[in-house]
Amino acid sequence: MNNPRRRRVLTLAGIAAGLLTLAGCAKDAPQDTWQPAGPNAEMIDNLQQPVFLVAGIVGVIVMAAVAWAVFRYRDRGQAIPEQTHGKPAIEITLTIIPVLILIGVAIPTTSTIFDLAKTDDTEMVINVTGQQWWWEYDYPAIGDNADKYGLSQPIVTSGQLVIPENTKVLLRVTSRDVIHSYWIPKLNGKKDGVPGRVHLLRLEGSKPGIYAGQCTEFCGLSHSYMRMETIVLKRADFDVWVANQLAPYESPAEGTLAKEGESLYIQQCSRCHQVNGLADAEGNLIVSAPEQYVVSGAAPNLTNLMTRITFAGASWDLLTQQCRDDVWKASANEFGAKYLSGVSADCLNQKDLREWLRNSPEKKPMYVDPTKLQETNGKYRGMPALGLTEDQIDALVAYLLERK
Amino acid sequence: MITTSSKLLYGLGAGSLAAGFVWFITNEGQQLGSVMFAFLAVAFIFMGAIASYTRDGHILSTDTSAHGSSAAAQKSVGRSLWPFGTAVSAGVTVVGLISSPGIFKVGVALLIAMLAEWMVSNWAERASASNEYNIKVRDYIVHPLELPIAGALLLSVIVLSMSRVFLALDKSAGAIVFAVAGAVILFFGTLIALRRDVNRRVVGGILGVVLLALAGTGVATALDGEREQLVEAAEEDHFAHRGCTEEKEYSDKKASRAVAMKSSVQAAVILSDEGVLYAEVDGYETAQTAITLQRSNPSTILFINETDDARRMVLSYGKVVEDLGGGVEKETALEACTSKVEKGGQQAVTVVIPKPSSASDEPFTITVPGVDGAKIDVFVP
Repeated sequence: MNNPRRRRVLTLAGIAAGLLTLAGCAKDAPQDTWQPAGPNAEMIDNLQQPVFLVAGIVGVIVMAAVAWAVFRYRDRGQAIPEQTHGKPAIEITLTIIPVLILIGVAIPTTSTIFDLAKTDDTEMVINVTGQQWWWEYDYPAIGDNADKYGLSQPIVTSGQLVIPENTKVLLRVTSRDVIHSYWIPKLNGKKDGVPGRVHLLRLEGSKPGIYAGQCTEFCGLSHSYMRMETIVLKRADFDVWVANQLAPYESPAEGTLAKEGESLYIQQCSRCHQVNGLADAEGNLIVSAPEQYVVSGAAPNLTNLMTRITFAGASWDLLTQQCRDDVWKASANEFGAKYLSGVSADCLNQKDLREWLRNSPEKKPMYVDPTKLQETNGKYRGMPALGLTEDQIDALVAYLLERK
Repeated sequence: MITTSSKLLYGLGAGSLAAGFVWFITNEGQQLGSVMFAFLAVAFIFMGAIASYTRDGHILSTDTSAHGSSAAAQKSVGRSLWPFGTAVSAGVTVVGLISSPGIFKVGVALLIAMLAEWMVSNWAERASASNEYNIKVRDYIVHPLELPIAGALLLSVIVLSMSRVFLALDKSAGAIVFAVAGAVILFFGTLIALRRDVNRRVVGGILGVVLLALAGTGVATALDGEREQLVEAAEEDHFAHRGCTEEKEYSDKKASRAVAMKSSVQAAVILSDEGVLYAEVDGYETAQTAITLQRSNPSTILFINETDDARRMVLSYGKVVEDLGGGVEKETALEACTSKVEKGGQQAVTVVIPKPSSASDEPFTITVPGVDGAKIDVFVP
């Protein structure tokens, strides 16, 4: 240790290890799997805590033994000791101990896996469909969804999954294009969304709030922008949310900027984005046709855009920082009311929404270059830049602000 | 000590770092290129550090006494077949370039493998000042790659040959041959395991003859072709029933043998032996009379027929109206069907429904023609 160079290296290594350890102490960590907020995540936590402890102890013992052996028997010019082979007692002991440890870990692990796969007490079913690079949620209006939760019509939304508190929700996860993976760390483990297959994942939230997640299967260019949030609401608040989602469409008042925005929406946006109840001048309902323009055949339904507080794959907030903090940090009792108030004109994050409407591929990388679409038969993977003027953006923002 | 090659590598590392900065500034903050240059810089600096540590693997030019015993002064280990192999691979590549992309790809793969082998052998011949060590070092380095690849190739010959044999044999005969072959292998394996003093060359010889016989049979059966049923099925696009037309073909009559996904489906639609149609959907404990399918999503529905009569399932999802000009329109019903499924059989159908059910004048349904009241509502939000 008298060697100054070695001391310097050891000091630097110690500082690096300390910094790495401290990096695990982030205060604002919404995707922290060590802070479960529902029974399923608690089951996982109850398993991983003791397993981590056992693995940690074994790791420390092994590393300490190796370090001790390296130091104690380091080359000091001594003669090579007598070489022996085979110590049955030690070998058998060192085989039995790991086997016992692994059996001790395997029993609760298997039990937890079966508990997590349980679906026979499901109270609500939601279809979750991944595509590049956002998640769609549709709530079927059949079974208990209709009988107990008042879903007289299916609800389609995206980015934010809204579920009632203390309800056993079963997600039927699939994908329209490539493999994605759905993961809300505070509520349960991961589940892959695979094209053509339906995989089941149970979610249950014990406390109202927002629980963040991230697609965890690399799915292409904007994989890192494929985020999601699960919103847990008290049952009464959830009922309000359902009623609001099923409310009939209201066209903006004549002569307003929002009305101009509606016309522009019909011309530019409704080709891909559905707004339920939106009709043309003759009163014919407008049905979007994303299957003609987008590889996945889908684009987010914007009927109630401003009831969710994020957009573009939950990658940007629709709320300003202050209003966002107000919702995120609300107490369990106040959360529902604050979330359900949606996005107001004062709270709208104009900057990000306008940047998106101005040139979305610049904000979120997507394969939308018209000159490079031969392989996809002219279809985009994402939203192209629409070349809107600032006046048109004003009108569209005014229209979208009324989609609550 | 900063050696000659490490200077070059450090220089390239510094250049890559600088290029990363320039990229970041000139590409308006786009990080991807900069990250790649940073990785490149780390790689160069790492290699430079190794070159410094090993002093380029050189002896000093002033150390003339070491020149005769240096690594570079060692004789070649032996004759090398790699130049010949490289030439043959290059020939295969050229032939492939002219004749077929498959042969060209094989040629390129061979060429890369031969060049790599040649390079490693060449390096190994003068890896150290010890000729004895040089002879062994190549095997130390290359065997961990060569042996698994050779094993995989050998295994692929066995698998391919056996698959050709089983595709040519009748299904029942195939099962018998498989069982007998397994028993024979197990028997001889046991014999060899019990007789440890058996000559390795004898075992190797027997295995070689068996392998040759197997490969020969595989080639012969491959030339002879697959069994009749498979040929017929392949001609009909592997049992795919594309339309809702009358059953005519071999595959229609063998609906349950269709190659299709039969698990993790959107719904299993069952026609009970009493003629009741219902759906089993993962997540729902009770039988359903309505299902929800995602829009524009490939949805697989499995149909199971428990009645005595052969039945088909028909999924109707609206219609398209085509304007033929002159005020004439043509309506085409959108349907997806299974072919007729015999009692106890099942068949899956995959459908992509582009429009929501609310946009259609007619409800989306699943029905079974010929069975009154057999209907399931389909919602596409």
